[in-house]
Amino acid sequence: MIEFKDVWKRFKGTDAVRGITCTIEDQEIFGLLGPNGAGKSTLIMTMSTVYRATSGEILVDGHSVNTEPGKVKELIGISFQDPKYDRILTAREILQWHAKVTGVEKGVREKRIDDVLTKFGLTFEARKRTWMLSGGTKKKIENAKIFVQRPKVAVFDEPTAYLDVPSRLLVWDMIDELRDEGSTVLLATNMMDEADRMSDRVGIVSKGEMVQVGTPDALKGTLKGRDIIEMTLEKPIPELPAEMKKIEDIQDAHFEGDTLVLLLSNGRELLPHVINIATAKGAKVQSVNLKQPSLEDVFLHYTGMKLA
Amino acid sequence: MKAQRHELSPLSVIWLLVERDLRTLVKSPWILINRTVFFVIQLFVFAVLVNKLVASTIPGFNYFDFYSVGAVVSTITSIAFIIGADLFEEEEMGLLDYLLSLPFGHSLFVFGRALGGAVRGLIYTAPMMLLVAFIDGYWSPAGILGSYVVLFVLATGISGLSITLAMVIRSENRFDVVIAMAELATVRVSAAIYPLYYIPQALQPIAAYSPVTSASDLIRWAILGNASGVGNLVILVLFVAIFFGLGSAFLFKRLEGGRFE
Ligand SMILES: Nc1ncnc2c1ncn2[C@@H]1O[C@H](COP(=O)(O)OP(=O)(O)O)[C@@H](O)[C@H]1O
Ligand SMILES: [Mg+2]
Repeated sequence: MIEFKDVWKRFKGTDAVRGITCTIEDQEIFGLLGPNGAGKSTLIMTMSTVYRATSGEILVDGHSVNTEPGKVKELIGISFQDPKYDRILTAREILQWHAKVTGVEKGVREKRIDDVLTKFGLTFEARKRTWMLSGGTKKKIENAKIFVQRPKVAVFDEPTAYLDVPSRLLVWDMIDELRDEGSTVLLATNMMDEADRMSDRVGIVSKGEMVQVGTPDALKGTLKGRDIIEMTLEKPIPELPAEMKKIEDIQDAHFEGDTLVLLLSNGRELLPHVINIATAKGAKVQSVNLKQPSLEDVFLHYTGMKLA
Repeated sequence: MKAQRHELSPLSVIWLLVERDLRTLVKSPWILINRTVFFVIQLFVFAVLVNKLVASTIPGFNYFDFYSVGAVVSTITSIAFIIGADLFEEEEMGLLDYLLSLPFGHSLFVFGRALGGAVRGLIYTAPMMLLVAFIDGYWSPAGILGSYVVLFVLATGISGLSITLAMVIRSENRFDVVIAMAELATVRVSAAIYPLYYIPQALQPIAAYSPVTSASDLIRWAILGNASGVGNLVILVLFVAIFFGLGSAFLFKRLEGGRFE
């Protein structure tokens, strides 16, 4: 179990983490979802004893990060956002050293390294010095450290950034496997689909605060009874959103490019009415799409900002 | 359930940290070759020349022998100072974050790194020392072994000093200046390459207590049989203890305010 109790981290001039409190259960995959600069990495580094919290307390399996950092270090493994290892060494050397220093039993070390390298298709690349490898490969090696270590608490900071689609799916499966084996997983991401696909619970982080916590479904449920209509027009009509908001069931209306986005209750019944209003205002409707709120809409709702 | 994690003893941690420094050393052999060539030129051109000049003014003083030992000591000193710059590079690459997240305490980290720096320095200078002992004509295994021990202890202390400075200064530009001065102070203001009584009066007390002086004199005592032992040994050991302690104490600063500049 990981407990964050009113954690603050202040760098010169910036409050990167502003009073985060939350609890992560054993064997849970907890997604930290937030845009760049939200404070996800800082929270992770503070939990991992790399930074000292300005105030507040973090307990990992009951051990305080402030007073028993040694105990905490023995439990955790972090795949950093930017790969962190000696560029002069080969992937195999990096993994061997990491396995030794994190106490992986001698008998299983080489087998685990071989397994992970084979899964990633890196058996050949693993002989080259890492500085010559591509960004995606470097990221895979950073993740590989944790898949070889198999720590009690596994932390992944944007594990699939720079990865192609098959590799993303592979990393997701490998993280699932790690959890099934008994690890607790903390996963920071700015990708909706990743948070939705991976997390048992998601914490939405915005400007250093955790603004909402819940299962992806529960979070989507907070917008329950709401539908979204996306109506693409030939060209946007500026007065249309204000016109739409006059209807009682429509909570929000705005343009995204040529597309009018409506957040409303009873979308199905209102659809013809909405199209009529648009046409009456001289809009040429090119396509209409009625959908349920996604995690992205939830995120938008709670942070007032888009991710990408 | 989770596979058994096995506990690392402090000794294995230190060895792993040293191993890391060695792996990187092995990958860049040209630096080693470079240093050796420079050393040999310095010895056979500079020292031979000056020896002739000195021989005519101070009869009976063998400057070549004196200098050759000091040159090895100065070389290992400047190599040992490099470890602080390594830390800046590691900070820049984010490696320090990684190293500080691993399961060992900060004192062990500083000690391991200082020893790593020392082993690296010894690997560079071991062949030089052998060459010096051979051409000076003092060929005793115990003497050579003793001088290796002295070089190693000195390099551990200098590495500790360098780590301490890197942790306290935290700005790479300022560090480069301070290290250059520290190297100047420890090597030039010492009896490494000229005898103590030729150093300006005002600097003599400093030079007398310089660990570089102690190391040079200890090795001269071990292989050449002149100079003295015990006092120098005490200075050397104190030096190591002080800077190892300070290095670990100052590492905590790294955790307070994020990155170095
Ligand atoms: N070491 C640091 N020193 C100073 N400011 C930092 C440091 N690390 C992060 N920050 C600042 O803290 C904020 C949060 O950054 P970060 O935790 O990296 O966000 P995220 O991982 O969510 O993208 C940003 O404004 C960033 O500039
Ligand atoms: Mg980040």
